[in-house]
Amino acid sequence: MKNRVRYTFILPALILMTIIVAFPIIYNLYMSLHIWFVASGSGPHWNGLKNYIALLSDKRFWNSIRVTIIFTVGALGSEVLIGVLLALFFNRQFKGKDIIKTIFLFPIAATPVAVALIWGMMYNYDLGIINVLLKAIGLPPLLWLADPKWVIPALIITDAWQWTPLILLIVLSNLESLPTDPFESAKVDGANSLQVILYITLPMVKPAIIVAAMIRSIDAIKTFDLIYVMTQGGPDIASENLNLYIFNMGFSYFRMGMASTLAIVLFTIVMAVNVFLAVIRNRDVT
Amino acid sequence: MRKTVFLLVLLAAVLTSPLFAGGKQESAGTKKAASAGFDWKAFEGTKIKIMVNKHPWVDIIKPKIAEFEALTGMKVELSIYPEDQFRTKRTVEMVSGTSDVDVFMLMPGNALAQYVQSGWLAPLNGLMKSKQYLWPDYDLNDIYPAALNAGVREGKNYTVPLLLETSLLAYNKDIFAKTGVTVPKTMAELESVAKKIYESSNGDTYGITLRGKKASATSQWVDFLHSFGGEWLDSNGKAAVDSPEAIAATEFYGKLLRLYGPKSAPSNSWYESISIFMQGKAAMVYDASVFKPNYENPEKSAVSGKVGYAIIPKGPAGSIPHVSNWGLTIYSGSKHKEAGWLFIQWATSKAIALQGQLAGIPSARASAWSSPEFKSKDSSPEWTNASIASYKVASPLWNPPVIPVGECRDAMGSAIVASILGQDVKAASREAAKTIDKILANSK
Repeated sequence: MKNRVRYTFILPALILMTIIVAFPIIYNLYMSLHIWFVASGSGPHWNGLKNYIALLSDKRFWNSIRVTIIFTVGALGSEVLIGVLLALFFNRQFKGKDIIKTIFLFPIAATPVAVALIWGMMYNYDLGIINVLLKAIGLPPLLWLADPKWVIPALIITDAWQWTPLILLIVLSNLESLPTDPFESAKVDGANSLQVILYITLPMVKPAIIVAAMIRSIDAIKTFDLIYVMTQGGPDIASENLNLYIFNMGFSYFRMGMASTLAIVLFTIVMAVNVFLAVIRNRDVT
Repeated sequence: MRKTVFLLVLLAAVLTSPLFAGGKQESAGTKKAASAGFDWKAFEGTKIKIMVNKHPWVDIIKPKIAEFEALTGMKVELSIYPEDQFRTKRTVEMVSGTSDVDVFMLMPGNALAQYVQSGWLAPLNGLMKSKQYLWPDYDLNDIYPAALNAGVREGKNYTVPLLLETSLLAYNKDIFAKTGVTVPKTMAELESVAKKIYESSNGDTYGITLRGKKASATSQWVDFLHSFGGEWLDSNGKAAVDSPEAIAATEFYGKLLRLYGPKSAPSNSWYESISIFMQGKAAMVYDASVFKPNYENPEKSAVSGKVGYAIIPKGPAGSIPHVSNWGLTIYSGSKHKEAGWLFIQWATSKAIALQGQLAGIPSARASAWSSPEFKSKDSSPEWTNASIASYKVASPLWNPPVIPVGECRDAMGSAIVASILGQDVKAASREAAKTIDKILANSK
């Protein structure tokens, strides 16, 4: 009896979560099996798995998967690499450290749309400052957002500018809380500083790096604001990631069934990546 | 059930709008016995509900509604929504099937196909011919035919234009004089002028700037398409963007930008494109006529006072620009169609059209353009003449006349970008046509 009573206390929260989390996902799954062209004014009709089968031969879908992967790997890779290096650099005492640290954290506080608008302007071939700087140091100007080959690197640079500090913050706070004994004994044993970093520091902060990477990977896979504001997926579809394709399918083309199908694919990918990262992390911790 | 959920979601979106005005429907009112001949007071006591989008034109008529009410003895309920909410609210009203809206604004180029196909609009032909309800001073012939035709589907009129925009070639007179070129009259001249300016400035000044950003480009590209003799769709409703004429137009559009235009063209929409022109970095721009105030604003534009205007140069099929407009329509489920028609006539009358014209809203009525009041205030007769010339020959179609407009524009946008980048235009156009046909087949 007592046992049952305690369940009733979590019931309101459970019901609320069911309504706002479980229902949309299940309804979305259900809609993904329908054709629903809202603009025609007619309701949804059953289509079975045909939406999923149609995706297999949809070039734009595969393009969006490719863009999502390249963007995520590029952004995550550069952010983790630079973020960890910066954290190692800041993990010591020097004058003005707090001020520099604060300045490094500014980008996180900025609104992504504002960041995207300003970077979009800076990348402009004719009007932007980046090409002025390139020319000043004797390099040829680049088309950046107007060039299908350069648009994703350009987006990655902007994303890295904004989110590397997050990795820095997480890893640095972890570094600062590490026990000092392993480092002291390593010194006594005669390890040089590179060896200390590779064999002691990095393994010890690895769980923190993975957590940071997890947070960033979810964000990077479903990036929307940055790309929507800077390129709207262009030129043509060169920077249209999966999330942007979902938006276009649902809210530009009003094909809600197909948009739901794509959303399920995105959901699956995000879940898979996180299960993967969680497994790595748990393996290391235990 | 599913439809209900959808409606609830849409409704929730609309309810968050602070401008939401829940209006009660009033019964048919005291409809006077219809006498022969036109009578403004024929629907005295009737209450009509008008739904409009927050647009400068609404600012003109809103303070005058009281005059209309005094004239007709009707009561007008005007609901104004910001554009995005307006589109959502309008769709909700229509889908619900129980709307008490009588008259609303609609941009035929964007939404007419959807609204006609769904049976949401009442044809206006009967009212337009009716001796009893057509105001003798209304003068339908004063409205530019292209503007009226934009609201026609299968021989039936659905919208009456309340303003009319077109696209114009704007050029920098200083650069033209310096380079020694004159205003291009044909597409071949357009290319040679662009080339001469680009080459004689060693690439410092672009010959021309145009939109190149995917779907946004199609609304200006379409004028090249028509002038080259191409069409969005053929007479069977199949995609025609891979016809030889259309391919030539797409090829030409891309070539102008690739060889003599800004390198950033594939990422330029109207804002970037006109900015390049306004900084004096490009000698010509082809875009909407309503950007004149931007070009001529000395605070934002380095070229103000130096801009000339012309109609699109002649292609193999002639000079065929497009017009686009907002219009007023009557809801098919309205109980006050005739009363709504009186409102439409008043709101698009010569007097109101002139007032809009003087406030900078280009009118769909020839009389407003030729009125002495406007002419004496006109700061740029060259723009005025080019606009009128454009209206006279324009096509009312700038989007394909189908429901999935955005999707078709995106498909064609890909081919335009391919052309700008110097890829195989034929293959890209075929791909676009194939995609459009597939989209149309899936839009039942």
